[in-house]
Amino acid sequence: MRFTPLTAASYATSCAITCATLASLAPVTAFAADYLSADQAARLMFPDAERFDAVDVVLDAAALKRLDEAGVRARSARWPLRAARRGSSTLGFVVADEVLGKFELISYAVGLGTDGRVKQVEILSYRESHGHEIRSAAWRRQFAGKGPGAALQLGDDIASISGATLSCQHVTDGVRRIVAVVDLALRNGSLR
Amino acid sequence: MHAPTAKPFIPFKLTLLALTLGLAAGAVRAQTASEVDLARRLDRLASELAAVQAELATLRQQQQATAAAVAAPPAAQPAPVAAADREAATRSAMPTTVLTSYGEINLNRSTRHPQDTQADLRRFVLGVQHRFDERTTLVTELEVEHAVASAGDKGEVALEQAYVERQLNPTWALRAGLFLMPVGLLNQNHEPTAYFGVERNHVETAIIPSTWREGGVQFVGAFDNGLTVNLGLSTGFDLTKWDATSSDGRDSPLGSVHQEMQLAKARDLALFGAVNWRGVPGLQVGASVFSGGATHGQAAASSRITLWDAHARWTPGRWDLSALYTRATISNTAALNLPLVGNTTLIPAAFDGSYLQAGYHLWRQGSYRLTPFVRWERYNTASRYAALPAGLTPDASAAERAWTLGANLEFVPGLVVKADWQRYARDREQDRVNLGLGWSF
Repeated sequence: MRFTPLTAASYATSCAITCATLASLAPVTAFAADYLSADQAARLMFPDAERFDAVDVVLDAAALKRLDEAGVRARSARWPLRAARRGSSTLGFVVADEVLGKFELISYAVGLGTDGRVKQVEILSYRESHGHEIRSAAWRRQFAGKGPGAALQLGDDIASISGATLSCQHVTDGVRRIVAVVDLALRNGSLR
Repeated sequence: MHAPTAKPFIPFKLTLLALTLGLAAGAVRAQTASEVDLARRLDRLASELAAVQAELATLRQQQQATAAAVAAPPAAQPAPVAAADREAATRSAMPTTVLTSYGEINLNRSTRHPQDTQADLRRFVLGVQHRFDERTTLVTELEVEHAVASAGDKGEVALEQAYVERQLNPTWALRAGLFLMPVGLLNQNHEPTAYFGVERNHVETAIIPSTWREGGVQFVGAFDNGLTVNLGLSTGFDLTKWDATSSDGRDSPLGSVHQEMQLAKARDLALFGAVNWRGVPGLQVGASVFSGGATHGQAAASSRITLWDAHARWTPGRWDLSALYTRATISNTAALNLPLVGNTTLIPAAFDGSYLQAGYHLWRQGSYRLTPFVRWERYNTASRYAALPAGLTPDASAAERAWTLGANLEFVPGLVVKADWQRYARDREQDRVNLGLGWSF
């Protein structure tokens, strides 16, 4: 291989090539994946909703204990969520939450149907320097349709992403927790 | 949206307690990224206390033989504050500075020469990440190798990473400073909890230096379809410091001439790029290339070092499978080697390596997780030398082949104990068993 010293001119050429290459790479998906607000995510998940009512699910000690027994650490006793309504009917619910990724918090939202099954997961903010791949639609799609009966375990029914294991683990744990909380509230009739 | 609120009965003492808990939560603000978790635990604790208070009240009323009993109603209640407001409050509590660490303590016991058994605090790394704003982060890692670093000791202190990253738009970020090169599977994910085996694999140590970092700038693009692209300009290697009298160049040709941004010669810069696709959950397929001048106008001949790799990792169900091939070339080595003839280690013109690895998550209970694995490696740190006149060309090395068989036992996420056995096909003197403790948070 012949040696070519990198001169100022070749730096400029290199930069030009880099910039040209960057310009040719545009996002190729219609999925809005990052830096959504929770309200935007809610509208994305339930485009037919006329309004979103703010509702709190409040877990008492007995409910927290039941979740603990089911292997879910509820973490919080009060869960604010959005109920997607159209007229007098409820289309589903949206829960915005945060979990620790590797070093920083990941903001995400989970949309659930009135049957308690996950409709959609959106990453609202990802702040880590590595592991942005959890934003990929293919990874998030794994959660769709999973309800209280699903394992929702990384390495089981949810595949991990190489290089973003902790982020995948914590978001998966978070979705499992949200599914369990919403299921509990739906079953005891406190969420309609 | 605000909805009518049914306020629960809260005794004065409980209010005070809740206030105290709230102040405690405020006091720990900006400590660690888990503070939101802490706040929620306090929230949960307050709820449990409320339930206990309610139960106590009920018991007292029963004792006094009054008719009515009061029960705390578990119910979904209309929110007193809009969900968006609370989310914004949570985000504002996000810490801006985070302390991180990883480390490993290893024991290596030669099966042929047990007298050479060695225990080593291989590395201890402290990292500080600081967020200037929502889009701008500083990432730093300071490493101490071999426990003690002084003029009379073998340890060293080094900055492993020190870069600033600015998110330009949802897809592209610009990174500048000292960063890990986006090469192979290990280099950017080198914490002991992230790989199998007590020691890092040979291919990504001897052929791809570990931990390989350069100073420069790069664009990092993360696309929604699972594609990640790195493109950048960085410092490179320094062949003028090749020590032909040492075996370092034979152990790791590039590891012996890396600069690590220590007064790095920067006349010749390098271009690098990497593409990784993770569009199918559990699958990663990628490749990288690096090429740059390495003599900086200070040698008799100019030389360029080029390295590329192709890699894949697939984690279907309980399996964790990976494969990697990498090859590097150094140009004009004949001219560089002529003055070095007679020494033990001349500069190779090419070197390469590959490995296949399979792990299986055999057992999981609670936070414990046991993953046995096996790895096969083939690597050659001098697969070709450039022709020198009159029979002076050194013979190319034969490739070494190594098997590693072992297991990682994860106690909790972030804490791992590892054990393995390594067998070498060519140099059986290297055969060894290893035991390691590693952490990362």
